[in-house]
Amino acid sequence: MIVFRIALRSLLRRRSRMILIALLVVFGTLLLVFGTTVTRSAAVTSRNSIIRNFTGDFIVYAARSREIPSPFAFNTPLPVVPDVQQVNEFLSAQPEVEATVAFAQNYSLLSVPNATGSVDVPFIFYAADPESYFRMFENVRIVEGQPLTSGPGILISRYQNDHYQKRYGVRLSVGDQVTALGLSGGGGVNALRVTVRGVFEPVHYANVFNYINFMDAASYSQLFNFTGVSGGLPARLEKALAAASESEEGIFDLAGSSVGSIDTTKLRAEAVSGYTMIAVRLKDHATMEAVRARLAAQGWPVKTARWDQASSFFANVASAVQAFIYFATALIFLVVTFIFMNTLVINIIERTGEIGTMRALGAERSFVRNVFLSETLLLNVAACLVGMIASLALVLAGRRTGIPLPETVSQYLVGGGPLPVVLSIGPFITALLVVVAASILATLLPIRVATRITPLAAMNDR
Amino acid sequence: MNVVELVDVQKHYLLGDTRVDALRGISLTIDKGEFLAIAGPSGSGKSTILNMIGCIDNPSAGRVLIDGTDVEHLSDTELTRYRRTRIGFIFQSFNLIPVLNVYENIEFPLLLRRTLSRRERERIVMRFVEEVQLTDRLKNKPNELSGGQRQRVAIARALVTNPVIVLADEPTANLDSATGHKIVELMKVINETEKTTLVFSTHDAHIMEHARRVVSLRDGLVVADESRSAA
Repeated sequence: MIVFRIALRSLLRRRSRMILIALLVVFGTLLLVFGTTVTRSAAVTSRNSIIRNFTGDFIVYAARSREIPSPFAFNTPLPVVPDVQQVNEFLSAQPEVEATVAFAQNYSLLSVPNATGSVDVPFIFYAADPESYFRMFENVRIVEGQPLTSGPGILISRYQNDHYQKRYGVRLSVGDQVTALGLSGGGGVNALRVTVRGVFEPVHYANVFNYINFMDAASYSQLFNFTGVSGGLPARLEKALAAASESEEGIFDLAGSSVGSIDTTKLRAEAVSGYTMIAVRLKDHATMEAVRARLAAQGWPVKTARWDQASSFFANVASAVQAFIYFATALIFLVVTFIFMNTLVINIIERTGEIGTMRALGAERSFVRNVFLSETLLLNVAACLVGMIASLALVLAGRRTGIPLPETVSQYLVGGGPLPVVLSIGPFITALLVVVAASILATLLPIRVATRITPLAAMNDR
Repeated sequence: MNVVELVDVQKHYLLGDTRVDALRGISLTIDKGEFLAIAGPSGSGKSTILNMIGCIDNPSAGRVLIDGTDVEHLSDTELTRYRRTRIGFIFQSFNLIPVLNVYENIEFPLLLRRTLSRRERERIVMRFVEEVQLTDRLKNKPNELSGGQRQRVAIARALVTNPVIVLADEPTANLDSATGHKIVELMKVINETEKTTLVFSTHDAHIMEHARRVVSLRDGLVVADESRSAA
């Protein structure tokens, strides 16, 4: 009790100096709580946004794939997911799974008539069963025409259409029939007449969906000759193809031995194929690893990738912002700790006589240590609580409207718009722990100085 | 009965490369209940002797026995405990804890003991508060007191633990002459009523007249040891 009494009154006695320290701690706490809340909010929103717009909780892709596919990467044609129907059926039967959708990403040319004949314009697209895809992902809003569920064809992004106008002098309209040109796996060029069903605008991630269009799965399958070629390959062949995806030399494993006969009766004729990934949405994100493990145990030649692996760039942006805020906060706390440590050392030097007197009267070193530790904790924890209250007010204000972000940052971080604030107790507990840890750290040297003051100092304190 | 026994105590300091002999072989015994002045000019070794007796400095050579215990081999913790239970200090600059009021400053050594109840502490503190006549100043902080009042608080603080010996290092040096005499008179009264052994250092000839025994030092040596029947 006497320790706290001395500590508290000593703080009040040096109140002007201590108020400055307290303000620094308040500021540090504010930054830590608010910064952590913002980064956590960004992380949660970013995760949810990517899961709801691109990948689901995880994606399934062909084991033969050389790299983890990303719904944003169109530079390398991806291998088709084998046994897609069985995999999809298996996943849909899992109680944790909310929805699945198989889709493909590819590119082709659209041959669009113009005044001089026709012009070929590039066409990057997702191909999927429209019903399943748009039930799972609400990433676009139809601004002209109908959704793809109204019939086979394509959906074109308004931004892309504007670009066609500027660059190629053509503009697609709802109902137009254009010829899509696709390179099939055999090297031939297929042509397919497709109807423009609608024009859309992105709801989120305009920086991605401005450039991506949609095609129904049946048209896609015809365009790229994917109909009826999945399943029934001998295991040895699948294995060798998977090995070849790791290393070019893997394909030579096939040399010199039979791969086994291909049982044509097992080759099922499927209406649609050519899917390069399956997005899986779970009812509870926490069950992801269990579902992935269960799928892996089935032995299909497929792999899975978490949402953040499949969207590494966007996930990395959120992580980088988070790391920056943590770094800035850590830097501020380091500076505050250093300033506080120096202030405390000055205090101790000023109080040499007082400490020496206590020691002469019979106070042990631990008593002196407890006095200074109490002073530090009383000041810093009180300042931390003030900082927490201020942070709470700021967080609650932010929750009402969201935190406005520059559009570019917002697009990469959360897919656009203000950042919704997620209130949680975590940042407050973290701030308190950090302040207590920093306080103890800051007192280590000063306490060492204080406890080395001898009673002789009291005698010499004239 | 000896309360303090110094046997050929020497103390050397190094000031840069220069060796300073603060005490050059002092032997001295102090009996229980003595009221003793250590006199001498500045630099004669008065404070150094008090520091040795108070267990806050070690001799370079010789032995220091307090209440029969050789303190040379005691650890820092043991010395602290020894000071807490057996020695009272009165400082030249009063050395009150600035954030505690009169009552709390006097109570402080009792709180360090952690053996007494609040009621017991209050009884002891109030007894000494009355003795040093500070009943009306209990709530005052040290900076609200005069020099004489502060030294009276320090006297009460030195006495509350009922120590074997009370050491006062030039207790009147920061006081005016009249107040200085009053303080020494008070110490003397307490010595008589409480039977506490009281040793104080001074270079003031008028102050040392109050003592019943005066040990005079010069250049780290005892040059005179006079007992007076009545002061």
